[in-house]
This record gives sequence, C-alpha cells and structure tokens, in this order.
Amino acid sequence: MTGRSQQVALAEGLARQGHIQPAVEACYQALRIDDADPLVHCLLAHLMLEGDFYDEAIEAATRAIEIDPDCSPAYLALGLAYDRRGGMWDQSILVWHELAEVVPDLVTAHVQLGEAFSAAAFDEEAIDAWRKALELDPHKARAMYNLAIAALRKEGVATALPGFRKAGELDPSQDDFFFALAGIKDDGNPAPDPEDVEEDRESRLEAAGALAFEEDFFSAAEVIRWIFDEDHDDADALALSAYLYIKQEAINEAMACALRALSINKRTRTAIYCLGVTFSKRPGLNEHAARVFGALAKSSPDEPIPHVLHAEALLGLQKFSRAETAYQTAIRLDPACVRARFGLAAVFFTEGRHAEAMWEIRRAAYHDTRRQGLFWDLYDAYTEGSA
Amino acid sequence: MPTRDKDARKRRDEARAARAAKAKSAPKKKKAPQAPKAPERPVAKVAEPPGKRTASARNPLFPIGVNYYPLEAETQSWDDWYDRDVASEFAAMAEARMSLVRIFISWKLFEPQVGQYSDDAEDRLSGIMDAARDNKLQLIVTFFADDRLAELLEVPWGKKRDARTDQYLLQRETSLIQRIVNKYRSDPVVFAWDLGNEAFLSGFKTQPQLEAWVDTMREAVREVDPDRPILFSVDPETMFRHTGVDPRDAIDKGEIAVSHATAAYRAYASEGPVISGPSTYVDGFLLHSAARDLPVLMDDIGMLSLDHSVAEESAHVRTVLYTGLMNRASGVLLRRFCDLDTERREPYFRDPFEVLVGLVDVDGEDKPVMNEVETFARVAAWVDFKEYTLVPERTAVLIPGERYEPLPNLAGLYDPRACLEAYMFAKEAQLPVSVAREEDEFGAFSVLVVPSAFNLTDETWERLASFVQSGGALIYSYGGGEAHPAVRDLFGVEFLGDGGAVDSLTCRVAQQDVLGTLEPFDSTLSLPHFALLGHGGGTVVATDAKGNPLLVANQHGQGRAVFIATPVERALAQGDPWAAPAEVKAMMQTVYGAVASAAGCGAQIECDIPEVEVALFNGEGDDIVLLLNHSPEAVTANLVFERAVASISDVRGGTPSQIGAVGLGVALEPNGAASLRIVYA
Repeated sequence: MTGRSQQVALAEGLARQGHIQPAVEACYQALRIDDADPLVHCLLAHLMLEGDFYDEAIEAATRAIEIDPDCSPAYLALGLAYDRRGGMWDQSILVWHELAEVVPDLVTAHVQLGEAFSAAAFDEEAIDAWRKALELDPHKARAMYNLAIAALRKEGVATALPGFRKAGELDPSQDDFFFALAGIKDDGNPAPDPEDVEEDRESRLEAAGALAFEEDFFSAAEVIRWIFDEDHDDADALALSAYLYIKQEAINEAMACALRALSINKRTRTAIYCLGVTFSKRPGLNEHAARVFGALAKSSPDEPIPHVLHAEALLGLQKFSRAETAYQTAIRLDPACVRARFGLAAVFFTEGRHAEAMWEIRRAAYHDTRRQGLFWDLYDAYTEGSA
Repeated sequence: MPTRDKDARKRRDEARAARAAKAKSAPKKKKAPQAPKAPERPVAKVAEPPGKRTASARNPLFPIGVNYYPLEAETQSWDDWYDRDVASEFAAMAEARMSLVRIFISWKLFEPQVGQYSDDAEDRLSGIMDAARDNKLQLIVTFFADDRLAELLEVPWGKKRDARTDQYLLQRETSLIQRIVNKYRSDPVVFAWDLGNEAFLSGFKTQPQLEAWVDTMREAVREVDPDRPILFSVDPETMFRHTGVDPRDAIDKGEIAVSHATAAYRAYASEGPVISGPSTYVDGFLLHSAARDLPVLMDDIGMLSLDHSVAEESAHVRTVLYTGLMNRASGVLLRRFCDLDTERREPYFRDPFEVLVGLVDVDGEDKPVMNEVETFARVAAWVDFKEYTLVPERTAVLIPGERYEPLPNLAGLYDPRACLEAYMFAKEAQLPVSVAREEDEFGAFSVLVVPSAFNLTDETWERLASFVQSGGALIYSYGGGEAHPAVRDLFGVEFLGDGGAVDSLTCRVAQQDVLGTLEPFDSTLSLPHFALLGHGGGTVVATDAKGNPLLVANQHGQGRAVFIATPVERALAQGDPWAAPAEVKAMMQTVYGAVASAAGCGAQIECDIPEVEVALFNGEGDDIVLLLNHSPEAVTANLVFERAVASISDVRGGTPSQIGAVGLGVALEPNGAASLRIVYA
C-alpha cells in the first residue's frame, strides 16, 4: 500500500468526526479514483455500521477483506455487522474466529465469538470463548455477564447470581454512581498529594474522594483518618470509609461504617449505597439489599444504577416480575446500560422468553462495542503496519 | 421417498393417515384448545335483525392461505415434487378454514428435455388440482420460483443460462406457461397465476430487464387466459431495498399486488423483538406501501427463524394476521404449511432451509400457530366486506422520492425507517393511516406527514403548498441541511440555519391546545439536526430550552402546516426504537392526532393505550371494531365512541352486553386481539 490518498484522508477525517453523509460521499469519490483500496471499503463499512445499515456494512467489509485478507478493521466491522443484523451466526463465528487469529489479544473478538456461538446453540464453545476473553482481560464485564447467563440457563438463578455480582463489580458504572452521589467528578486534574491537603474538613473530604476516585485507596484512608481525628462522627467520611472497605473486600467493616454513618445522618445517600452493597454481598441478606436499593432508587429516580442494583437484589430474591420492572426503568433511563440489559436477559430466560433475552444481550453488545470505539484502534494499527 | 430419518417419515405418514381418516369420519374438527368459543349460528337477535348475521366457514373476500412447498424434507430429491399425500394435507388446510394454497411449478420436472413435457409431472399437478377442488380450496400457481431446495428452475438443458434474460429460455418459459394455463384456464380451482416468487425475481439486475420479462410472461398468460388475475410476488419496498431494482411499474402490470416483510427487511427496518415496537408495524407499513390501486395479498406470514418460542411465534402470526385484516389486505398467505425436515449433520444444524417454519411439524401434527390461524379465520369469516366498510385512510405518511436515490446518498437508507416510525406514531394516535409516495396524487388525503426528509423536489413543494392552500394539513419535520424556500410561506418560519446535532430534546409549551395537550419535558435524545428558526408569521407552539421554536403551526390558505424543527422520527428510528423516550413519543402522537382531528380525520374511536391499534368497520345498523394489542403486556383499552353504545358482542356471536355509555373498557391479552360488534343507542 502506498499510504493514504487525499480523498481517503478526507473520508477518514470526516468519519472520525462522525459526519456520516459527507464521509460516505468522500469514500465514493475515493473509490472512483481507486476502487481496490481496502481502507476506503473498510471506512465505508464502518460508516454504514454507524448508521446501522448492516447489509451495506457487510458488503463493504467483505470487499475490503477480499482485497486484503489481513485488513483487521474490516473483520471487526464485518463481525459486528453480522451480529447486529442477527440471524447470520455461522458467518459471524467464522469472522470472529478469523479476527481472533489476526489480532489474538483483541478481547472483544473472543466475547463476540462466544455470543455468536451461544446464539448458534454451541454452548460449550461459547463458554470457552468467554473464558479466553477473561484470561486476556479479567476485567471484561461482558464476558463475565455472559458466563453468568450461561450458568443461569444451565443451572438456574442461584448458581448464576455470584457471576452477576462479580460482573457488576467489574462494571465501572457502579463506582461512577457512588462518586456521583458523593459529588466527585472527573475534572481532569489529578488528586492532591495527602501532604498538600489543607487542614480543613471540606478539603480533606474532597481530597479523600479524589484519591478514592483514582483508586489510591491507602492515601484516601489516611486522609479520612485525619478527618476522624477531628470528628469521629462525620457521616460522609464514614460512608467514604465504607466504600474503601468495600473495594478491599472488607464487607463487615464496610457494613459497620455505613450503619454508623446512617445512625448519625440517615439521609447520607453514599452510606445508603454502601450499606446496600454490603447487604448484597452477603448471602441471605438480599431482602435487606432490596429494601435499601429500593429506597436509593426512589431517592435517585433519574439514575439508572440504583434501579439496576434494586433489580439485582430482587433477582436474588427470585422476584422476577419486579426485577423486570426495575431493569426496564434503568434501560429507559439509559438504553446503553449493559448491566441492565444482561439483567433483563436473565429475567427473560427465567420466564422462558428466550428471543427477548437474546435480543437484550445483542443490544448490550451493540452499546458496548459502540462505546469501545475499537474500529479506530484497529484502523490505526492497520494503517501503521501497512505503511 | 428418500429420507435418512425413517422414523420421522413413518411417524409423519402415520399421523397424516390418522388425520385423513379422522377428517373423513368426523367432518367437524374438534375445537382447538386455545380457540375461543365460536358460534355456529348468527349473533344474538336482540341486537341485530333476524337472519342477517350468518357467516360461512371462510370469508370469500378475505382468503386465508398458505405456501405449499414441493418438498418437505431436506433429504428429498427434486423429482419428489409434491410426491406425497397432498389430499390429506389439503383436508387439514380446509379444516383450518383456509381457502387459498400457493403451489410452485417445477420447470425441471415438467420439461426434462427441450419441448418434451413429463406426463408424470402433469399427472401430479392434476392430482393437486383435484385435491384442491375436493377441499374447496383455490390455488395460486407460481410458475418460476426458487425455493432453494427443489431445483425448480434448473432445467438440465438450460446450460446455466440466465432464465431471466436468455431469449431461448424465455421462449421455453412462455411455452411452459401456456401449456399449463391452457389446461386449467377455465378451471375455477385456479385463483391466480403467479409469474414468479421473490427469490427468483430478485435475481433481475435492472428494471428494464424485469419489465421485459414480466411483459413477456404476462402476454403468454393472457394469450390463453384473458381473465384470471396475474400477480407478481414481490413487495415493491423490500425488493428495491434488496436489489436496487424498482419493481413498481412491473407490479402495475398485474392485477394483484403483494406485500412481504422479508427477514432482511426486518433486520434493516426494525431489528428487534418481533412481538413489540416497530416490528409489529412493519407488515402494516409494507401493506400500505404495496397498495398501488391494486388489492394486496400479504405473503409469507410467519416466523423467520427458529429463535422464538411457540408462544412468540403464535403472537407474531396473530399480530400480522390481524394487521392484514385491519389494514385492507385482500388476503393473507402463511409462510409454510409443513416444517421442513432438516438433515441432521455436524457441525451446523441450521441452514437457510431450516428457517422456513410451518403450521404443522415434521410429524404432521398441528403447531399452536395453526390454532391461531383457525381462530383468526373464524373471526375473518364474520367480517363481511360487502356489508362493512373500513373507515378510509385520509392521513398518509409520504415516502420522499429521495428514498430511491442510490448511495452515496444516505437518504435512501434513512427515509424508510423514519417513515415506519411516523407510520407507527400515527397508528399509536389511532389514526387510519396509509403510505403515499412523493409522486402520488395527494387528493385522496386530508393530512400528509413528511417525516425527516432531507430533500423534496421543487414540484413537490409546489404541490404541498397547493394541498395545504386548498384545505389539507401537512406535518413536516426538518431533516437537515438547507431548508427549501417554500418553507417560509408554507410554515410561517424564517429558516436561519442548521444548529447541528444535539444530545437532548426539550419541549417548553408556548401555546397549549393548538396542537393538542402537550406536556413539557426534558429528554435525552440524540438528534442529528436542529433548525434554527426566526419568526415568519407562524404560531410557535413549543420551543426548546433556549427558546428556539420546536413546533410551529401556520394557517396557509384553507389548510394548516406544522413544522417540527428536528428530525424526531429519524432520530428515534436510528436510536433504539424499543427504548425510545416515552415523552418524545407522546409529543409526536399528540401532534399527529391533533392535526388529523382538526382536519376532520382523527381517531374514530379514542383509545387510551397507544399500543392498541383500532380499526372501525362501518355497517348500516351496527359497526365492527377490531382491536390489536401491539404490546407483549396485557392491557385494558378504554375506548370512547362518538355515540353512546347500546351493546357490544363478540363479532362471532354470543350474548350482547348492554353498555348504554360512550365509553367502555376491553381487556386484551399480550399481543391479543378483540373483535367486537357495536350497536349504538
């Protein structure tokens, strides 16, 4: 390949900015100059995929692969188009298998391969693919959700629940929710060094939250300790402590901190959240978790995560109808909530609504893969490798 | 007949033999377990003139039928063409109150050598005709079809030439057609001659080729049989989508049009659960889209894959069947009579043939969906189209001409989805709605909806202005780019430019009740464009959070034009239509409903559940109301009529319930339907 032509560069630039119509026009202009450029075809495939025009995406990606069988972004686009279109699982399996060989460390390829296997009723192969994905990336929540769903279909809810909880823990949105409750957001500035924190309560609490946000739990704990030195009945600091304990799997300590915080101020929402999480981590306390998360969902009706947490607790209690309602609420609030989609799929499976369950899993994959933006990673690697 | 699964074949044959014997000994089949009680006599005479309400077993003006494929097992050979007990299967169809069967001619079997026709094939066809006659069925005879299994068109002497364009093969095709048509031209058992099915016809590369082939074949039929209807089994929308060949002119050469929601079209237009949301409206949308002043037969009703449970399959089939009856179909054809017995082989159990799912399983036993068909047939039999008339659709969703533009113009991909979304909103507002195209005459309509179009031609803008000027109502949502100059006068707005993409939609109501009762909202919705508008004389009914006009209504001549500043229909269709913000949908339903009501073609019957589709058939002494729940949840639809209702009863009979009010509630099961006879006070 001799590098990108001006037209391809233009198409690429427009595509990166999300200007689909002009980017497609630029691709067609580039094809008029050279219709055997795999980059243009794979760009076109990506653009069609962005517009959810799957047949067109399949056609363009197939053409790119015909021209260059090593065109990894085209494989990605082709596999995603097959999966999102539905009903083409055998072709999808071949594509993801191929991509997993071309880019062996691409975790998503293994997750998608597993889902294609599962849709085609090759359950064992699906499980192997998801396990492979978790070997490559132990934090791959979707692989874990899929394994939990597989366990549910094989052995029922009780076996599947730990998997769902584990997957939930891998899902960063739950932590994001805690920090949203605590009023901590990513402002682009790094958390301060504990030594530099001013000696007032507000500064210390803010610094501890920022350190916890950056997962520097020990520094955060140190700053909180300074707050307790001044006032050991600080409910917000206690709630943050509870969160830190949860992150270190010290559930009893977390529960104690959360309860203490609530005994001081029963409106401390971060403490309510932590208490719910600790209840949900203890077998047999699902009913308590459901009550706590139900209250949290009422107090944050426009946030999807409390509804998801509430639904998961209800799922644990095998109250499927109520769990479905809570999951549906979460999806209404955030259609891209992968966790809610998988949870709803679990409910549908228990109710024998297989097609709807498979649809929710496909929508979860749709939103997850759109969010990842993998195409451009592969595209850049491909263009660098080919230059 | 060869099969590798001898047990399956044996079981099937036994089941068929038993069923045939049962049909002979007991002409009346035992009632299907899920079928509601169906009357054998007229509706209670309290509410109706005596002797008036009778229904035959079938509705002659709404035939229900099924595609009857030549092979029933993947292991069978092409020469096993209908080599089975056709009579018993036809008896089963008749028992289920079907009246129409489509069969597929095997050219390969009929003409094994050039000009030499197989007596055996003709005997088998004759046997099929006899069996149909005996069971009071009529046949649609499809000449050129590809069922991807029976090698129907693969004449060995054809030397792989294209049967669509090769002149020599075309001559042979006309000979075959004339030979068959000539034999049965006066036989009433033939309902229609079908030139080809979609799988075959989608092989045409250009419109002229297609039209030339249709002309030739049609002429061949007409030389022998001047009367019998000719059809051409393609859906204009789906075929154009799949092949880029526009078959509308070719379809117009026939006497019956066909609508057909293919798997690929569903995947494009409404990929998602088949028993809720846009999926349940696709069939109706295509039905209206296929209606080109011709009766439309809904073809290939049934599941497209084995991914669904039997309950979902039944719900889907029920939804589509009622959609047909409620939206002016002239008949319905189910996808397949018998499941295909597929070969068991590794590594894949699934293949394209297996996805054809039938009304009976491979053992010949009825599946639950067969009960749905039978139940529906009982209802349809009571809707006498000579006596009851469906309220005319005076609202239409306009499919822009840009839909037929090739790539790189993306309008051809976006527009059908936006139009389907608009069709769904209109249905959810309980409006009788149809589909029109940009080049169609607008005179038959009072309200036109132009959803999220990028461009209309200058001529169309002139016609729209004239339509509104003379009393029509227009709902137009801005699709992006430069606005046409006609927008200023027509909508009373000054277009200041495209504000670009936004991630949320806010509605602040400035003038309540101008476009119905709107509720203010803030919603998360990704919108690709937002028109910035200045004052141009129109009434700003609602604005966004910054005060930019969102909804503008303008009196223009004797009519009214409504401008929606953002392509809501496209945004919802391109997002997740199954998780669309309820408040945005409610706004669109309210606007559509209010504009139609003001134009005098609003909902005939008010219903508080948007997912419940309502169809009103006006009669002389009473009306028939059909209700269809498009949601997988059970609901109670509260209906409000224009007049006080004296009594209601099931359309099939039963004791009428006295009402004496304008409103009543009807409980509907998930994806359930109700058929009511209404007598007014």
